[in-house]
Amino acid sequence: MKTKIASFVLLLLVATTFAVAQEAVGAPAHKAAPLTTVLSNLTEGAAGTPGNNVDWEGWSEIDEIPGASLFGVDSTDSYFTIGFSAGSTVNITSMVVYTTARANNVVTKVTKLNYLGKANPSIDLTSTTNCPNQPVSATNPCLIKLTKAAVEMVASNDYYFAIYFTSDSENNTMRGAGGSNQSGALTGWQIDGDDGLIPVGGTIPVGDAGAAPLFLMYLTNE
Amino acid sequence: MKKVSKFAAFTLLLLTVAYCSAAEKPKTVPPANLVRGAIGPFNSNNEWENYSVVTLIPGASLIPVTSTQTVLYLGFSAGSEADLTNMVLYTTAKGSSTITAVTPVTLGSNSSPSIVLSNTSVCPTQPLSVTSVCIVRLDPTALVLSATNDYYFVVYFASTSNNGSIGAAQPTTNVSAIESWYAGNENYTTLTVGSSIPSNSFHTPDFLMYVMTD
Repeated sequence: MKTKIASFVLLLLVATTFAVAQEAVGAPAHKAAPLTTVLSNLTEGAAGTPGNNVDWEGWSEIDEIPGASLFGVDSTDSYFTIGFSAGSTVNITSMVVYTTARANNVVTKVTKLNYLGKANPSIDLTSTTNCPNQPVSATNPCLIKLTKAAVEMVASNDYYFAIYFTSDSENNTMRGAGGSNQSGALTGWQIDGDDGLIPVGGTIPVGDAGAAPLFLMYLTNE
Repeated sequence: MKKVSKFAAFTLLLLTVAYCSAAEKPKTVPPANLVRGAIGPFNSNNEWENYSVVTLIPGASLIPVTSTQTVLYLGFSAGSEADLTNMVLYTTAKGSSTITAVTPVTLGSNSSPSIVLSNTSVCPTQPLSVTSVCIVRLDPTALVLSATNDYYFVVYFASTSNNGSIGAAQPTTNVSAIESWYAGNENYTTLTVGSSIPSNSFHTPDFLMYVMTD
């Protein structure tokens, strides 16, 4: 009798465990596989060939990432990729993401970005560690994926990526990898000065004329 | 017998824990775009008394997001009250102008609402402007958008003085997937199945901002 009860309880336990596992994976038990994610665009990134702008010392670029353009990929983090088509060293003072309500220019949140742990990185474009394919050129741009940002993109907000290039001679010769035409959801504009310092409650500067970004290329979930 | 009872109790506890874990509330998924909506910066396109606005939602632009409903959002950049006579969503085959279905669109279950834009419960950020657009969420429709169709959202603004001072949020750049045209002295919300969507020249969208899952 004892054995029968114990067996029955054990059977119940096994059945329940299988049922729970099946529900968690969302597939039949015999086809169960671990959940994985794939590299996905969070919005439509930049495409086309690079523009021809130089002399970036002391300038900022601001890029709009419209909530209205998000694909609905479920991701709690965002990866920003910037691109360069010329230069030897890029000196960045700061990189931030501003959050606003959609169709509103008041900043509600500021998230600082970094590259390999540095908020003000100097990126050696001649290093194969940073740019595996040398030399960097318009047809061989160097794409730099920034460190994961704890920014969950939701469609009810707009987002603005701002990057400020230090006022030094090395930033004279570098160029962005985007910008010749508009064929994505991102738009960008450039401003003389540091636009990485806007606080919560401040406003996004005007100047967006619908041009493609020069530096921000892609926005992905990993 | 005691051992069996203990084993049974322990197993019951395990079952309870497993059941609770399985019943745990799934992560809330935020509303997602069904198409690329209106993208700023915005102009204010004003004076809408006795005008119809026709906005194309191309099936070709649909983002493959699973949804059981469609929710439309309007954007106002000026005005104190908008008096809408009617709102509908027409379905056509992709690339065709012949209407195959007419779906009523409502706000607060009312197809002819007056929207008090000066009310902060409707538009929390006052005053309305091109950098402070008031977004109004219409009632969900049960229509599930398909890439094999095109859709036309049409709103007709009554001939009232209120509508003379309202402004449509209109993107200054052509980055959106939706596009509009408008016509005065016409109510295009009364078209029927089998009739055609009138032709006109499209431009960046007026009023319709977002087409979303919720």
